[in-house]
This record gives sequence, C-alpha cells and structure tokens, in this order.
Amino acid sequence: MRWLRFAVFILIVTVLQVSLLGIVAVTQLNIRPNLLLILLVFFAIYCNTTDAIITSFAIGFAADISIASVMGSHTISFGLLGTALAYLHRVIAIRKMPYQSLAIFVIGSLAGALAHLLALLKGQAAISNIYTVILGTALYSAIVGPVLFLPAAWWMRIKTHRFSRH
Amino acid sequence: MARKLIRVSRRMLFTWLMLAGLILLFAPQNLTNNFQFAFARLFRLPLAVGRNISLFTRSWQSRPGITNRRESEYENYIANLTEQLHSERQLVEKLTTLRNKFGLQGADLIPADVVTASIGGAHCELIIYCRREHGLAKGQFVLGDNSIIGTISDVSAPNAKVRLFTDPASKIPVRIGKLNIDRVMQGSGNNSAKVSLLSTKHNIKVGDHVLTCKKPGFLDTSLIIGTVARCKPDEQNPSLWDITVKPVCDIERLNSVTVIIMNPQE
Repeated sequence: MRWLRFAVFILIVTVLQVSLLGIVAVTQLNIRPNLLLILLVFFAIYCNTTDAIITSFAIGFAADISIASVMGSHTISFGLLGTALAYLHRVIAIRKMPYQSLAIFVIGSLAGALAHLLALLKGQAAISNIYTVILGTALYSAIVGPVLFLPAAWWMRIKTHRFSRH
Repeated sequence: MARKLIRVSRRMLFTWLMLAGLILLFAPQNLTNNFQFAFARLFRLPLAVGRNISLFTRSWQSRPGITNRRESEYENYIANLTEQLHSERQLVEKLTTLRNKFGLQGADLIPADVVTASIGGAHCELIIYCRREHGLAKGQFVLGDNSIIGTISDVSAPNAKVRLFTDPASKIPVRIGKLNIDRVMQGSGNNSAKVSLLSTKHNIKVGDHVLTCKKPGFLDTSLIIGTVARCKPDEQNPSLWDITVKPVCDIERLNSVTVIIMNPQE
C-alpha cells in the first residue's frame, strides 16, 4: 500500500466532498454522492485485509472532520463496516460493477444509519427525514461509485483486473 | 540496517482503532471539534475556491438558455458575477453601520466568511472564518442578509461553528407577526423549523414574519429570522397550530455573515 499517495488522495477527496459536490446535489434534501463512502468500498475490495482495516478507519476519520457533526460516529461506523466488507471479500469476490454498486448501497445505508444512531447516543437531536437522506446518498453513491473506482485505482496504482482474495 | 518490523495482528489493530473511535465519540465535543476547525483552517483556501465554483455553477445552471450564447456572453456573465461577489463583500462592510438602523447601538458586528456549509442533511451548520476574533463566544447570534440565521455553537478563533436555526438541535425563542406571545422554534432539518404550542385561536397566516425574541446579553432587539411557510392544525392536537418556518435568505448561497456581539468589552 502506498500510504503517502493514500493520504494525499483522501485529503483531496475530502476537500472535494465538502466544497464541490454541491454542484451535483439533487432534490430539496441536497442529496449528493459520498466520495468517502465510495473509497471505503474501493479499498475494502482492492486492498489486503490489514490495509483495508486501516483505510476504513482513516476514511471514517476524514468523514468525521468534514461532514459529520459528532466526531467518532463515522470513524466507528466506517471502520466496522469496511472491516466487515474486507473479510466478506475473502469469501465472496466483489468484482463486477453491479455487485460493487450493491456493496456501496448496502454499506452506505448501514454506515449512515449506524453513524446516526451513534450521534443520537452522543445526544444529537433526532431528525425526521434522516433515513431518506441516508438512503438517497447511498443510492446516488452506488450509481456513480463503480465508475470512480477506475481513477482511484489509477491514482493508487492498484490493478483492478487482478483476481485475488487476500 | 535491518528494519525492525512491529507485527500487530489484525484483531489487535482493529481493537485499537475501534478504541480510538470510541474515545473520539465520547470525548467532550468542544475538544473533538478542534479537528474540524483545524481542517477548515488548513484547507480554507481550496474550500473557498471549491465553494465559489459550486455556487457559480449552481447559479449558472439556474439560468436556462445561457449554454446557447456566445463565448463573450459567458465572459460578461462571469464579470457580472464577479461584480456581484464584490458587492456582497461591500455589503458586509455596510452591515457594520446596521447598528444604527436596527437598534444594535453599542453592538460589535464582526464580518465573517463562510468556509463550509452543511445544509439539508442530518445537521445544519456553517463553519465561518471571522476577520476579527476578539469577543467571539458561544450563543451569539449570526446575521445573514440582514436576517438571523443561527447562533454560534462552538468557537476556535478565528473559526467558529454556526448552528443554523433549521438544525434539529437548535431552539430559539421567537414570536410570530404582531402576536405578543413568545414560543420556542425548533429546527426540523429540512431547511425549515417548527413552532409549536400556539393555540389556533391566534390568527396566523402564511407569509407572516417570524422574529427572534430579545435575549439579554446576546440580542437587545427583535430581528427577523424567517417567515411562516405552512400553517395547519396539529394532527395530534387540533387546538394547536403546526407552523413551519422557512429562512428569509438563501443560507446555502451566503458567502459572508455577521456575528453580533451585544456588549463588546474594550
């Protein structure tokens, strides 16, 4: 794993997520794709399990400092689900685009719900349409996610066509 | 030289990282917020550039037909937009004279730039960069386009976090129109807020102004915060109104805001 590239990449994506993604936001709820969620699934699929664990928590932390109101909620939810996906990938290979989309949607929905529950635990007020936002974000990310795997793989010098289960 | 490798099992690695996440989660929020402020401070420039591009693109998208025009027209449009941005900046400076207009005598008005804006999701807040950091404190009201948009929820000078009145955690005492009754307005997250516990015997209409109540030490005068967007009898208790309030300014497009410090210390 090229950790310096990874750090630079995550910083760039985090800044893009906060500042530029408003361009592609849809509906009144301002639903936009979550690039960090897409990267979480990407690294869980294409890295070995140890690297996937580290990247999951790191991406969760990046999500916390950029888009979360309660620090730690995304670190835990992304870390937990990214690790689970990495272990799942050792059993079931997720190589085809539809499966990758499905993985992004499922992980996005679960991670969003878990992060929200953790935020509630910390005392954040409940919000009525939060699950619509979570599902909308997961769906939007699932649609654009597999396409973004290619530039991510190019930047990280990861061969996406290689078939292996680490 | 031989490299000494520290071997850590995956289970141990996961446990340590999970523990770090839990520490972050349960640590006091005023400490953990410093991470967010540090991010906003470090990447203020790229964030501002990205936000301006995003705002420009959105305003461009909202004008159909412009794609068919010639290149010079694009340039004129950009020039107009740049001028608009410039006049917005001037507006902030002009806001410093507001104290005489809106009963803010003696108040210190601090102009601030919007660094990041989270609107419409689970939380509605802005991270702002204040041009002067002296006197910033939690609870101070924030003006955007001459209306109250929220209060300061956390400070890490020169940055501060503004909890918008549409945030579910926000509770601000308000009064509606000419009614002399104070009620608490709570954010509902979808760029709106709710006012409850107001009897249907009171005449409330869509479009009525909603004004903040005076709060000693923070706001010595009532200022507009929103308008009534929807007004219907409450489903659970039909004798009470269920009132939805919308902001009177487009908060997402604000580039700059003003923090009100009522009793500045010299």
